[in-house]
Amino acid sequence: MNEQEKVAMSDNQTLVDVQNLKVHFPLFGGVLSRRVATVKAVDGISFSIKRKETIGLVGESGCGKTTVGRALVAILRQLYPEVEIGGSITYQFKGKSVDFARLKPRELRKYRSKVQMIFQDPFASLNPRMTVAQIISEPLQLHTKMNDSEMKDRVGWLLDKVGLQPEQAYRYPHEFSGGQRQRVGIARALATNPDLIICDEPVSALDVSIQAQVINLMMDLQEEFGMSYLFIAHDLSVVEHIADRVAVMYLGNIVEFGESSTVYYDPRHPYSKALLSAVPRPDPHRQRESRIVLEGDVPTPLNKPSGCGFRTRCPLAEKSCAEDIPALEEHAPEHWVACPIVKEKAAG
Amino acid sequence: MENTATVDQAATAQQQISLSVLKKRWLKFKSIKRGYYAFIILITAYIISFFLPLLINNRALVVKYEGDIWFPVFQGYIAGSTFGEDVPGEANYRELKEKFRSENGNWVIMPPYPYGPFEDVTTAGNKMYEEPSGVHWFGTDNTGRDVFSRLMYGFNISLSFAILFTIASYLIGVSIGAMMGYFGGKFDLITQRFIEIWATLPFLFVMIIISSIVRPNFFLLIVILTLFGWIGMTYYMRAEFYREKTKDYVAAAISMGQSHKKIIFKHILPNSLVPIITYFPFAVIGGIGSLVGLDFLGFGLPPPTPSWGQMVSVGLQNMVKWWMVLAPLGALFTTLLLIVFIGEAIREAFDPRVYSRLR
Repeated sequence: MNEQEKVAMSDNQTLVDVQNLKVHFPLFGGVLSRRVATVKAVDGISFSIKRKETIGLVGESGCGKTTVGRALVAILRQLYPEVEIGGSITYQFKGKSVDFARLKPRELRKYRSKVQMIFQDPFASLNPRMTVAQIISEPLQLHTKMNDSEMKDRVGWLLDKVGLQPEQAYRYPHEFSGGQRQRVGIARALATNPDLIICDEPVSALDVSIQAQVINLMMDLQEEFGMSYLFIAHDLSVVEHIADRVAVMYLGNIVEFGESSTVYYDPRHPYSKALLSAVPRPDPHRQRESRIVLEGDVPTPLNKPSGCGFRTRCPLAEKSCAEDIPALEEHAPEHWVACPIVKEKAAG
Repeated sequence: MENTATVDQAATAQQQISLSVLKKRWLKFKSIKRGYYAFIILITAYIISFFLPLLINNRALVVKYEGDIWFPVFQGYIAGSTFGEDVPGEANYRELKEKFRSENGNWVIMPPYPYGPFEDVTTAGNKMYEEPSGVHWFGTDNTGRDVFSRLMYGFNISLSFAILFTIASYLIGVSIGAMMGYFGGKFDLITQRFIEIWATLPFLFVMIIISSIVRPNFFLLIVILTLFGWIGMTYYMRAEFYREKTKDYVAAAISMGQSHKKIIFKHILPNSLVPIITYFPFAVIGGIGSLVGLDFLGFGLPPPTPSWGQMVSVGLQNMVKWWMVLAPLGALFTTLLLIVFIGEAIREAFDPRVYSRLR
């Protein structure tokens, strides 16, 4: 396979390849503002997202899901100037590979339209002083050369696509319900035809009935426009419904990664097992599985345990777990687990 | 038919609901009558005060003399001899009017209140300390100047000074506070330390030292006061920006590649206007107070300027002449009261709680 073919292959296949991504937030304290500690929010994770694919990212709060999402849209440096980002986030845009972890803000600007984000809180993510039309047309003003009437048409068209009326364009966000606002947020993310949309818990602030509508809308839009989603959630049943592949995160590391159905019905990592046993199954005929209740609390990312982050609560923990951070290994085809103990047990 | 009509009505009703937050607050402000009328009165008085030379002046509006028409208000100094008057220096238009009454073809139109703020009326007989009368409404002062006339000109100067001072210090305070809150980190740390040092400078002593070196004029005084006045706003803006920048709409703006300038001024600032607008009237009051105080102490505007502080100070030296004390203090009180009413109404209009108005 020569270079050109490789590029063509990756263009068809992989949209973004994350290698060993680390996001550390230094903490300063004392009179001289010396560095006293480091919050290791994301501590060396690798995964990739293919085109037209939905990756689910699950884990409990504080495990670094949102930070991964924000690293992928490259807004961390501007939000927290002192942040330290390591590893690479390589996007393939039309055969051109771009590393978002390394680009300067100025160089990033032209690729911004390709990666957009939908936020968790539909009340905070829309500027209350701007009308819906202004909110949706802002990315268009930045990334296209449309004139006013084209922009107006595009805004109306986008509102129609997300199930709102174009006449509602001149209203303010506070006049909409939570679900409607989230649709406005989706329309804004959709405005520039992105290749990837990071969905940071897009439905967790909504009613269950509205959740289903918004999820179905997002799936319909993916069908129509063919973008990829990185779907961050702590609600596992929602992720199961929308995601093709799922990554389970614990304390800044991915502990299990694989096809959605495999991870859900055959979790291998002890943390995934515990997490998935907590999912309520709305099926009265199903025998209730024994619920795995973990002991203790999540250790703080300020002071992570050595080796495997999960070993302090893991039922399988052995002495060797404290030595190295376990790498993801392929336990079954396309099913990656970061636990050598499980592999040993399966083999032996 | 009826159906479509109601639908149309509903549509227009919905259109009307879509008011921006500021428009709603303006409507609420209008509904608070005391503040709204105070606002109308003050704005009208302030606009009128720019036309004072046409209303209260010792220069005539129009003079017709020997077939020529003169406009002394606009032309400025015209020697008395021009109109055949036997006076040194500028023409005395009030006497000219009396004189022309008996002459055919010559006439003078005076402003409604024909006494200027700088004019010494003692020349026509010793008229110092004249009591209030139909001629001099609030009497005359220690150098025979008309108190009412000076009071009115002083209103324009006080209010213009206070508004310009407030705008200038807000421009600096808001932008520095906004940058501190938005960028945070080292910039915030260093600027905050600088502000803490700057704020401890004793304002009055610095002012006295500067006044003894240079004679402050209107704009120099604004500059000096602004140097000390911008600090207060930075605290509010810094806090507002620290709070607002963590909200997701800012993250959204960054993720679409918006520039820092646009994020600060287009996204965050409109959401941080509350302290700016609610403190504005009270800052204007502070500005008027500072000017009156400095003038009272003699470190303010140079002497012939009709300023309220100087009038109060002269009045206190002549306490028996009650009109010289009461007139400037009354004017100060009325103006400040009107602005307080406006400020209170604005604060109420920005209060999200509907039923908590103290009225």
